[in-house]
Amino acid sequence: MRIRKETALAYTFLSPVLLFYAIFLVIPVLFSLFISFTDWGGFDLESMEWVGLKNYRKILSPESNFLHPVLTNTFLYAFGTVAISFCSALAVSFFISRLRFQGLWRTLYFLPSVTTIVAIGNVWLYMYNPTNGLINGIITGLGFRSVNFLDDPHHALLSVIVAGGWLGIGSSVLILSAGLKAIPDNYYEAASLEGAGAMRQYISITLPLLRPTILFVLITSFIGGLQSFTLTLVMTKNGGPGDSTNVGALEMYNQAFSFGNWGIASAMAFVLFVAILIITLVQLFIFRRGGVESY
Amino acid sequence: MKPQRTPWISYAVILLGSVLMVFPFLDMVFSSFKSASEYASLRYSLLPQTFVFDNYKLAFEQLKLAMLFKNSLLRSVSITLLVLLTSSLAGYVLAKLKFPGKQLIFRFILATMMFPAFLFFIPNYYITVHFPLAGGNDLFGAGGSGGLAASQLGLIVPFAVSGFGIFLMRQFIMGIEDAYIEAARIDGARELRIFAQLVLPMTAPVLATLAIFEFINSWNEFIWALLMNSVNTDLATLPVGIQMLKSHLDPTLTQPLVMAGLVIATVPVLLAFILLQKHYVRGMMNSGLK
Repeated sequence: MRIRKETALAYTFLSPVLLFYAIFLVIPVLFSLFISFTDWGGFDLESMEWVGLKNYRKILSPESNFLHPVLTNTFLYAFGTVAISFCSALAVSFFISRLRFQGLWRTLYFLPSVTTIVAIGNVWLYMYNPTNGLINGIITGLGFRSVNFLDDPHHALLSVIVAGGWLGIGSSVLILSAGLKAIPDNYYEAASLEGAGAMRQYISITLPLLRPTILFVLITSFIGGLQSFTLTLVMTKNGGPGDSTNVGALEMYNQAFSFGNWGIASAMAFVLFVAILIITLVQLFIFRRGGVESY
Repeated sequence: MKPQRTPWISYAVILLGSVLMVFPFLDMVFSSFKSASEYASLRYSLLPQTFVFDNYKLAFEQLKLAMLFKNSLLRSVSITLLVLLTSSLAGYVLAKLKFPGKQLIFRFILATMMFPAFLFFIPNYYITVHFPLAGGNDLFGAGGSGGLAASQLGLIVPFAVSGFGIFLMRQFIMGIEDAYIEAARIDGARELRIFAQLVLPMTAPVLATLAIFEFINSWNEFIWALLMNSVNTDLATLPVGIQMLKSHLDPTLTQPLVMAGLVIATVPVLLAFILLQKHYVRGMMNSGLK
């Protein structure tokens, strides 16, 4: 009797959560999978037309812009932002660990992470402005010609990546700092007694012991980068010029909500989702071998 | 590592980096005080030649700031309260009660965190707009004027549960001694009372972390709010209202105005964050890796 009461209680407490996931997660995923096999403008359900694999064939065909440049850009964006934010965060978290007022410094680096992307995107747009922006102010001040960062297809993607990498530093610093704190002080003390210098200690103690944290940061921020599109939306609206900054989730968003191709957009969402899922599983495997059991 | 000498190089690197992190914010604040003509001039300068407050006056006139603020605040407060409630209830159940299906539900909640947000914009947009019996819709979700998006519910309901929140609460509540709960049960306390008066107060530190996290995230969330605004313009939040202002008018004229709007939208949250960062940063650092 006691056990059945506990079961009833548990499911009563869980019912709002389970109902929510049914309506806003399970049904949507199935619905979205169904839409991806139809031709639909998102209006009434009767106007849905079953087209089988047509949408998938279309976006995966060599002529489509989805594989290239859109998915290529998605990977470049994820790679670039992770490279910038991870390398910076590794250095920053190490140097902060040697200072006083660590909380203050970490907060400063974290400020972009608690700011709306609309602000981040617009401020970087202003800094990139070819006529009155800060960065071109410095470039022309040094005697070079000003660069049209976001209107030039050769520079646009890199310009968005730099902003995105800058934005990601703070959260990586937070996680890496937590990892650094978990390394016992006496390891360093013992190394100092043996005469190891700071550089030697970092390479022989810090990096090996930090490896699970490093893998965690790399993988979560890479997956985050593959999904990200808000910054690109704010800075370039539609992934322009041309498709030079366009990424998968943004193309999906515009196909659905700018052009009303809900079928194509849903197919794109699933292709991107499956790609991310495969990458996640591969990385989980690397994780396990890299010594993170609990992830 | 306790440094004996002052680590000058570390200070130099971190200070330089901090300048790079904070500078864009300074640029935003200072340019919000530039006049449109100074802004349109060809040379960059950080400081305005003369500080003008016109942009703020204009921002208050042209943006429906009262509405934007109300929507942003109502949304963030509601989502935060709902997530705290659902996360602590589910977290408690998954940490302390024994029942069939527990492992399955916990695995499911972990799995929900692997689904990327972009997968849900399309179906959830349709579901929200065609929500049965909401906003004048009939039982089949037809006939109404926007379903949940007829009111602020459209901004709130799809964010009412957070897999991360449930996970965070479960991990924390697992650390509470079973003996407390057993003792209360033996004393005859009802289950809801055990949860509300015994467990919940003990979770205060992690609730604070989760509250700050959810409030900031929902205050800043942009894409869903933009979609809801496309159904019903009365649902614009601060980020949406400011971004829309930008796309409507001549960009060179409105840029300082946009900056003023962004200062209004971000600076209160940033200041609140700096005040509360201890709860947030410590909570995140303790929970980030477990």
